[in-house]
Amino acid sequence: MSEFSLFFRAMLKERKDILLSILGGFLAGIAGVVLFSASGYLIAKTVFVPPLYTLILLTSLVKILGLVRAASRYGERLFSHRATFSLLSRLRTDFFARLVPLAPGILNRKRSGDLLARIVGDIESLQFYFLRVAYPPIIVVSVFLATVLFASFFSIWIALLLMLGMLITAFAVPAFVRIGQHKTDGRVRRQRAALSSETTELLYGFIDLKVYGRLQQCEQALLAASGELTEAQQSDALHLLRGQSLHSFVTFFVSWGVLVLGAFLIANGSMAGVFLAMLIMASMTVFDESAALATLPAYKRDSAFAANRLGETFAAAESNTDGKADSKPAAKLERDAAVSVELDNVHFRYAEDWRPVLSGVSLQFEAGSKTAIVGPSGSGKTSILELILKLHAPTEGRIVLNGTPIGELDAEDLWSRTNVVLQAGHFFRGTVRDNLLLEDDSRSEQELLNVLEQVNLPGKRLDDLILEKGENLSDGEKQRLAIARALLKSGRLWLLDEPTSSLDYVTERRVLEAMLERAKDDTLVMVCHRLAGLERMDQIVVVDRGVIVETGTYDQLMQIRGYFYEMKQIERQMIGSFDDAEA
Amino acid sequence: MKKSKTGRGRQKSGLLPELMAAHQKRTLLIRLLSLALGAATIGQAVLLAQAVQRIFVEKAAPASLIAVFALLLGVMAVRTLLAHANGRIGLRIAADAKKELRARLLRTLAANPLITARQGQTGGKVSLALDTVDEADGYFSQYTPKMIEASIIPLLILIAVFILHVPSGLILLFTAPFIPLFMALIGIQTKHKSEEKFEQLARFSGTFLDSLQGLVTLKLFGRAKRQEREIERSSLSYRDATMDILRVAFTNTFALETIVMLGIGIVALELALQLVVFKNMQFHTAFLILLLVPEFYNLLKNMGTAFHGGRTSLGAIRNIELTLAENGIRETQTAGQSDNQSVRGNTVTGSTMMGSTVTSDVDAASDLGASRGDQTPAFAASQEDSVPEKSFPPAIELSELSFHYGSDAFTLNAGSLLIEPGQQIAIVGKSGSGKTTLLHLIAGLLPPSSGEVRIAGRALTQASEDDWFKHVTYITQHPYIFAGTVAENIAIGTDRDVSRTEIVQAAEAAGLSALAAELEHGYDTIVGDGGRGLSGGEKQRLALARAFLKRPSVLLFDEPTVGLDLHTERILMQAIAELSQQATVITIAHRLHTIRQADRILFMEQGRLIGSGSHEELLDTLPPYAQMVEIQRKGITT
Repeated sequence: MSEFSLFFRAMLKERKDILLSILGGFLAGIAGVVLFSASGYLIAKTVFVPPLYTLILLTSLVKILGLVRAASRYGERLFSHRATFSLLSRLRTDFFARLVPLAPGILNRKRSGDLLARIVGDIESLQFYFLRVAYPPIIVVSVFLATVLFASFFSIWIALLLMLGMLITAFAVPAFVRIGQHKTDGRVRRQRAALSSETTELLYGFIDLKVYGRLQQCEQALLAASGELTEAQQSDALHLLRGQSLHSFVTFFVSWGVLVLGAFLIANGSMAGVFLAMLIMASMTVFDESAALATLPAYKRDSAFAANRLGETFAAAESNTDGKADSKPAAKLERDAAVSVELDNVHFRYAEDWRPVLSGVSLQFEAGSKTAIVGPSGSGKTSILELILKLHAPTEGRIVLNGTPIGELDAEDLWSRTNVVLQAGHFFRGTVRDNLLLEDDSRSEQELLNVLEQVNLPGKRLDDLILEKGENLSDGEKQRLAIARALLKSGRLWLLDEPTSSLDYVTERRVLEAMLERAKDDTLVMVCHRLAGLERMDQIVVVDRGVIVETGTYDQLMQIRGYFYEMKQIERQMIGSFDDAEA
Repeated sequence: MKKSKTGRGRQKSGLLPELMAAHQKRTLLIRLLSLALGAATIGQAVLLAQAVQRIFVEKAAPASLIAVFALLLGVMAVRTLLAHANGRIGLRIAADAKKELRARLLRTLAANPLITARQGQTGGKVSLALDTVDEADGYFSQYTPKMIEASIIPLLILIAVFILHVPSGLILLFTAPFIPLFMALIGIQTKHKSEEKFEQLARFSGTFLDSLQGLVTLKLFGRAKRQEREIERSSLSYRDATMDILRVAFTNTFALETIVMLGIGIVALELALQLVVFKNMQFHTAFLILLLVPEFYNLLKNMGTAFHGGRTSLGAIRNIELTLAENGIRETQTAGQSDNQSVRGNTVTGSTMMGSTVTSDVDAASDLGASRGDQTPAFAASQEDSVPEKSFPPAIELSELSFHYGSDAFTLNAGSLLIEPGQQIAIVGKSGSGKTTLLHLIAGLLPPSSGEVRIAGRALTQASEDDWFKHVTYITQHPYIFAGTVAENIAIGTDRDVSRTEIVQAAEAAGLSALAAELEHGYDTIVGDGGRGLSGGEKQRLALARAFLKRPSVLLFDEPTVGLDLHTERILMQAIAELSQQATVITIAHRLHTIRQADRILFMEQGRLIGSGSHEELLDTLPPYAQMVEIQRKGITT
């Protein structure tokens, strides 16, 4: 499993912290065992009325060990947690690097948000693999082995008994729990997923459910699903509890065994009686360390599941984009020239969709031309832009830029030559300046402010803070910032996806004006959701259900009274729907 | 115990005491079992010490000890079983409490998600019902039994030690309070520290998800590589900030463990002195005390761990309680209002119109009747009189209708208004002016904050809404497609048994036959979540098919704003025209065509219904309306 190997590689890099925490854990465990053994020995020794100084020596030892134990525990905690968080950092960067070539293929689904949240969560649960799964057995085994070694000086039989106890608690009991889990494996997860999707259905479909009188029914189903989830969780927790109880009985039983065995050994003279109390104390203490093992299977299952799921997600995405990474195409677009684009009988279907988005699209965007693509939502307008950006490969047909087939072009070079406004461009936590995603630091402060002015955001300062996903911006502000971002790039191909849909008419016109002025010598393709202001475009392309319905200039299309004309008529009827939320 | 008292003192008892009250028998059982568990713990130590004394000091033969060995093993088994039983009871309580919490949450969510729709995201609510409830688990399954154990067993051990040897007991007594003290200290300091670092932590922890979400943007702008370093940087900063917090906690734990270890050390020293110097103690007693001391401290430490887990759970429970309370207040509010209404109905309208007094009395009776379940024949007859089948489409009457959402400032005032049977109504206004809220109020999807909606003269209440919804269809801009076949999704439109032919006819009328031909199993293809995805236009047409099957006498319609294909546009217009022939139609209108055709336009501005009349009337008399029509025209044509 490559996810775990990735994890172990990361662990190797954090070996210093990991070794230190193992050392701390080992010392703490051993100090505890020795402390209690010494106390037991101390008490037993008194029976023989020893000189006072041996007692003082022993009690000082007990005190020192107490301090050693507490101190090494402290170190263990510190280093193991540090290692855990460092691992998380490494995992994140590693997975991010792996994800980069897979975008946007992996992100194209409707629920990409869920997918990403899931990846983040899975990586987070992998981080605990070290702390809760890999680490405890190491400590338990090492402390046990040391104790066994110690006990073997007094009696090989008791040492063997302790060894047996270790094998049972460290391996047999967890294995028993795992077998129990196997039976219920996935049940909790399935019930959770069922409850989650039913709750979502109730919330989104509320109006339809209520009006159609199905609410009661839905509620009953929800309660039943909730009950089943609780049952499943309950039986899972019971398995774990059974494991814990079994574990504690085994520890009791081993101490009992030490007692009985000791009694016989002392009786036949092969062990001195003074060590009995000490060995009993040792056997009772050594199992303190192994308590964490009883809950280990639960964590182990979680991280195995997370690793598996990450593996599947990545494997699926990687198989979709296979071959791409091996031989990176090297052709570049020539600098300082507008780009011509040609689509020839292009078909395209998203991997997870059941019908094609584009079927047989042929289009020509000449160098320096301005084109608007219009059509109902879901008709495939955005896909045309994504194909030109090489974010997806067409299932059939050819796309040619400046005479070079797109397959031979270096994608990163292509992007650096393109000024893009996506429909849902992302904004990151950071300042306005950070979010302009500048290519380099060559732009002056004044230039940046001018651009903000051009997109009608004169009130924004470059150091204003933007939150994750730009959640402190209105839709209109986001669009204007996205346009500012494009205006600051130096590409000669403009690909704009509904860049002004949330702006009011006045602002829209102003911003478009600025953009068209900047792009006057460049090629520009704009997906529009409104039909206003298209008179100045060289070409309007009308798409419906993945097929080009009409192309022509505004006047031509109005004259033939076809699809565009009718769309225009409907739009003329529209009232009260386009006002900007901020207006 | 203390909690439930203060809970009762706060008039409205809290959620937690209420939940725990249901499990009094179980907690009592845990207490009894804990007593037994304490006895078993002490018994085990006594037997163990006894055995060692016999073997080591008295040099007894193993054969003579068989009874002691057997007894010891028995006590160990009993101790394990008792602890297991406590754990089981805890799990049982947790399961019941979780079931109850989820049921309550789901019930309030189902009661009216439209009210809270403005405040929270759907995802948040789903996670409340799942994750937050699971977080609450710890309080019931761990905290409760562990706390009970920790409050009983150490006390028993302490008593035992005191009986055996007073000075050792005193050492335990003096060191014990340090443990909860330090535990509390850890809690307070880490909380303090993490609040101090909260901003930092939030910033660093979000970077990864933020970067993943913006990956396409990052790639297009050539910043992916740079972002990788940024993720590393912020993850490491997150680590350092978290370690700062943890260090505080670990330092306190260090102090705590030192105290425990020193406590044990002092006891051991003191025992040794008693044995050797003063010679007034037996080995048996000393060893027994030595065995009991770690048990004592361990239990106290367990209490600390349970306490921390319990606090997280308590936070989760408080979260749930808050959500429930918000919705609960609203429920009682609306219930109170309906009482007010009937009073007002008697006083205000009673003087002008005897009839309405009668109907509101009937309402009160119908509420009673519904709860009693048995209706007198006279009442049943009167109910039928009030809404006879033939009165559909009914007159819809708004009376002093207003509504405000719980937490934000938006208020809707619709005033009073009569919609006659068969009228075509268009609701017009800017986005955010309250059009949708008004439609939801008329539909009975939102409970009015004051005033009422009357259907055929009878107030629309929870008791009567089932009746009302039998005649209503609501076509939203984004109709919901349930996971199921196309046919099932259409059939949801009606509660009667429909034949396949009827379904297919409705689908054809709504222009879905081409889609059915395209799908591999036709009308039996699974759509919705986990099935075939449909386009916006197809969803609209499916909603139309539902309406064709139902043939409602009241049609509520939120006209699509943008993005429909012409095919759907045409079918939609035809279908609405056809359906409106036998129905009252209330449309949130965006098309001038619809508005012009309406018998009456309701014009909304900033939550107020500021005018109603025909298009021409409003153009003449209502300047904001004329202005709006004009602006839109200018925007589009120039």
